[in-house]
Amino acid sequence: MLLDYLRFALKNLRNRQLRSWLTVLGIVIGIASIVALITVSQGLENSIEEQFEKIGSNRIFISAAGGGDPTARSGLTQKDVDKLEKLPDLEWVTPYLIAAVPVKFGRESLNARISGVPSDDMDRRWGDLDLSLKEGRFLAEGEKSSTLIGIRVSDDMFEKDVRVNTNLKINDKKFKVIGIMDEIGNSDDDNMILVPIETARELAGTPDAVTMIEVVIKNPAEMDRVAQKIQRTLEKVRDEESFEVQTPEQILNQLGSILDIIQVVLVGIAAISLLVGGLGIMNSMYTNVLERTNEIGVMKSIGATNLDIMLMFVFESGVIGLVGGTIGAALGTLISKGVGVAAAAGGFSILKVKVSFGIIILGILFSIIVGILSGAMPARQASKLKPIDALRYD
Amino acid sequence: MKKTQKSIIKLENVWKIYEMGDVKVEALRGLSLDVKKHEFVAIKGPSGSGKSTAVNMVGCLDIPSTGKILLDGEDISLMGESDLAQIRGRKIGFVFQKFNLIPTLTAMENVMLPMVFQGTTAEDRQKRAKELLTMVELGDRIDHRPSELSGGQQQRVAIARSLANDPEVILADEPTGNLDSKTGKMVMFFLKKLHKTGKTIIMVTHDDKLAKHADRIEHLIDGKIEQKRKKRG
Ligand SMILES: Nc1ncnc2c1ncn2[C@@H]1O[C@H](COP(=O)(O)OP(=O)(O)O)[C@@H](O)[C@H]1O
Ligand SMILES: [Mg+2]
Repeated sequence: MLLDYLRFALKNLRNRQLRSWLTVLGIVIGIASIVALITVSQGLENSIEEQFEKIGSNRIFISAAGGGDPTARSGLTQKDVDKLEKLPDLEWVTPYLIAAVPVKFGRESLNARISGVPSDDMDRRWGDLDLSLKEGRFLAEGEKSSTLIGIRVSDDMFEKDVRVNTNLKINDKKFKVIGIMDEIGNSDDDNMILVPIETARELAGTPDAVTMIEVVIKNPAEMDRVAQKIQRTLEKVRDEESFEVQTPEQILNQLGSILDIIQVVLVGIAAISLLVGGLGIMNSMYTNVLERTNEIGVMKSIGATNLDIMLMFVFESGVIGLVGGTIGAALGTLISKGVGVAAAAGGFSILKVKVSFGIIILGILFSIIVGILSGAMPARQASKLKPIDALRYD
Repeated sequence: MKKTQKSIIKLENVWKIYEMGDVKVEALRGLSLDVKKHEFVAIKGPSGSGKSTAVNMVGCLDIPSTGKILLDGEDISLMGESDLAQIRGRKIGFVFQKFNLIPTLTAMENVMLPMVFQGTTAEDRQKRAKELLTMVELGDRIDHRPSELSGGQQQRVAIARSLANDPEVILADEPTGNLDSKTGKMVMFFLKKLHKTGKTIIMVTHDDKLAKHADRIEHLIDGKIEQKRKKRG
């Protein structure tokens, strides 16, 4: 019997094709955007986690307090670095000075972000990371006017490719490119221009400045204890409000919660569009009930109960939900794949959009529920029609 | 034809009052009627005299304001919605003036629909629908939609549909009203055929020639049976 109702529903939907498809479209848009947003943001979450796994579990970051662009932060100095270097638990203490300065290659000039780093032992400071050179070498101790660049500086930043042994003009000073890193996968790191920190300080005109300190600890198991120790050590020489000590886990959690908020907001907006789609179904079903009032009367006169009528109409809106949900989920999956491809083209090759069957099934189920709920009120109205009144209606 | 004495339909002092705002329309004003099993009763009367109202109430499409309607001894005014639907589906077959087929369904599907509501299996449904359509001589039109059939053919599909669940009573409200006299005769022929197979038939009509086919003619005027005319007829 239910199967008969389903067939009957399909017949009726096909009978008013244009209107059915328009109603379906409303649902398609809603479900497609929800599926795409969830899939992409899950991909984003996964890739951030992956990126942090690359950073390793033995690093702690110390930066001046306050959010925003790292070049705008200040407050840490070489004194802090010296203080930390005395701690026995630390393998490496690496200060970074990040500054935005004009960079020129050939005739082309633009503003770029450069990072000053200690030029000694670079290979060992980063030895545990999955980083490798594409060409050339790392910076060497005592070097002043050399630079190590990321793959995108070489390939994309300027019209001509920047090669090893060519020169970049940073703040009108000549720097020789001595190495190019392999692709790391995020555009920040792939766009890096590394110079010795002393030179960076000269360029920025800030003799003692440090933007961020990265420390590698000897025993990863002691992460939390060492982080607290660093906190206490620095509190002795500066205001506790003026700096932040962060473990990768904390940063990951922070990013995760930001991402969660963004996800909730975006999915909320998408849900509103689904709601509008649901209202579309409701509207279409009310029109449908009105148009078929006489038919409802006829069906009651040949033995249809209120429940039969109700089921017939609910099946129709349910089928709209099912079709809309299926197309929407497929479209949403395509869109998220597209976003993955676009992200890779834009430098975020680490963003791996994985299609999740769970989300697709959930999207379709959700859409069927929306269809049924939206159809419920019109269907109830149809079922409550008095047979005699319905029959008299033309 | 000999009839059993058992009544299948009995209306006792039935009133139906429609209220539309301040206006009250008394469609039936104390109608009493007794129809025996296997009887063929024609109801005549001027337009607006309450014929359709009466027939619809016998068919459980509406309930009386006061009075009793007994169907096979049961008072339908005491029944709930789903019981009434069951009775409509199993005991009553309707044939309407304007055919009232479902436009999206084929002749075959239209005839099967009443059986769907009774939960008949697909196999039995198909078999019976084919038989019935063959009986009304539309065996070659089973996959046609109503819009692809003539008025007379549509009404024959409707007759086939009314028989789907093998009801005891066929209610036909001006079944030839929308047909020319020739097609009307054809429809009449099938109704008579049903009567011969033992169905109880109540038919509303304006046409004296058609009414003559009935065992008995009742005249309805102002919501009541005209007694004088009855004796004469
Ligand atoms: N649903 C209704 N609401 C109000 N008045 C109605 C309704 N149905 C019928 N009537 C009125 O009741 C009277 C009888 O109608 P009806 O039974 O259709 O007459 P007939 O079939 O004999 O032409 C008419 O005056 C009609 O206008
Ligand atoms: Mg009438």
